[in-house]
Amino acid sequence: MDGIHDLGGKQGFGPIDVTHDGPPFSTEWEARMYAISQTTGGDDWTIDWFRHVIELLPPDIYLNEPYFQRWFMVYATGLVQSGVTTRAEILGGVAAAKETPPRDQTLAEVLEEVRQSDRSFARTATDSAVFQPRQKVRTLRHGHSGHTRLPGYARGATGEILTHHGAHALPDEGAKGREAAEHLYTVVFSAPELWGDEADPRDTVTLDLWESYLVAA
Amino acid sequence: MATFDADEAARLHRDLHSHLPSDPALRVKTLESLMVERGFVSEATLDAWVEAYSDHIGPKRGASVIARAWTDPAFKARLLEDAAVAIKDFGFEGSATAHLKAVENTDTRHNMVVCTLCSCYPFALLGMSPAWYKSFEYRARAVREPRKVLAEFGVSLPDGVDIRVWDSTAELRYLVIPQRPDGTKGWDEDRLAAIVTRNSMIGTDRDLDPGKA
Repeated sequence: MDGIHDLGGKQGFGPIDVTHDGPPFSTEWEARMYAISQTTGGDDWTIDWFRHVIELLPPDIYLNEPYFQRWFMVYATGLVQSGVTTRAEILGGVAAAKETPPRDQTLAEVLEEVRQSDRSFARTATDSAVFQPRQKVRTLRHGHSGHTRLPGYARGATGEILTHHGAHALPDEGAKGREAAEHLYTVVFSAPELWGDEADPRDTVTLDLWESYLVAA
Repeated sequence: MATFDADEAARLHRDLHSHLPSDPALRVKTLESLMVERGFVSEATLDAWVEAYSDHIGPKRGASVIARAWTDPAFKARLLEDAAVAIKDFGFEGSATAHLKAVENTDTRHNMVVCTLCSCYPFALLGMSPAWYKSFEYRARAVREPRKVLAEFGVSLPDGVDIRVWDSTAELRYLVIPQRPDGTKGWDEDRLAAIVTRNSMIGTDRDLDPGKA
């Protein structure tokens, strides 16, 4: 979708605050929200649906809420929409019925769970790859209203296949709770192809793009 | 069950947001109480997750990997071949590192990583991402004017150096291998790891300082 999240190349944001070198979480609530996100949620949520729900925040909320408040909104909305909890519970913070939490996880168990969560998104290809390394390709000019991973700034652009990664789960379908596999490629674009004459001709940008985002150039 | 209904999610966002307290800490506290009361997770488990990502999973992991790549050519070859497998030597695999590509800085190439669409980051290897990495400013500008962005980080590149910006649009994550600085000959891995900055592994730092060891 052409949402506010699609920030690549947008102008007017000003200087970057490069000073952040402090603790991993800058506030206590950020830490708690991250921990909640790692331990709760809907059983059938996909990473793509999670990202899409963030993208579906109205632009003013997206721009004005801090990063982990956008995650909070995914949990608030997602938990209600999945029937895990109710609107009244989210707004009131009181459970209609109290239940006993599962056994406490120790630090060692958490570290082991993180280590084992290197979930692969590679899938078995059902057909052979259309494109080969060094081949010229062009990206689609139009996106669609759902979740997709072809940013606006790289639409209708000509680049070259750098690497073929085999088939990976397609996010456009994952965001609908469905599985589809497509070949994934790293595609390299010259900076002037994306940005015109203001760009430095020495520079390049790569994107990881699924086969259906591309046509032969 | 999730409905995967985008219109409904957008409507719920508006509805809930207009009724929620404005204080972010209060919102999260309310959610936490609810999750605990409903029996989904305990306070102690949340504490353990915070501790894991505050004190144990962080950029020191990535720095250890870089230091070994500098001292062990066979390991560096494996890291460049398949970084997701190579980091298992350390037990650093995990969240968002199943597909990992290491990209090497050279005298003529500088690599820089961004996620313009969200904030994808190799959590298990580098820990929580810095605030600037998630900022609108960095996400908007890194792909379009990387030299100006680098200048803000205090990095200026010689004329003969090109920039390759990697926009993480899939489940592939990136690790920049910075160049080993002069003046570190004979150093062991621990000493080398101490001079590898987090920013150098994302690509917003380039010339590492041996004086920092």
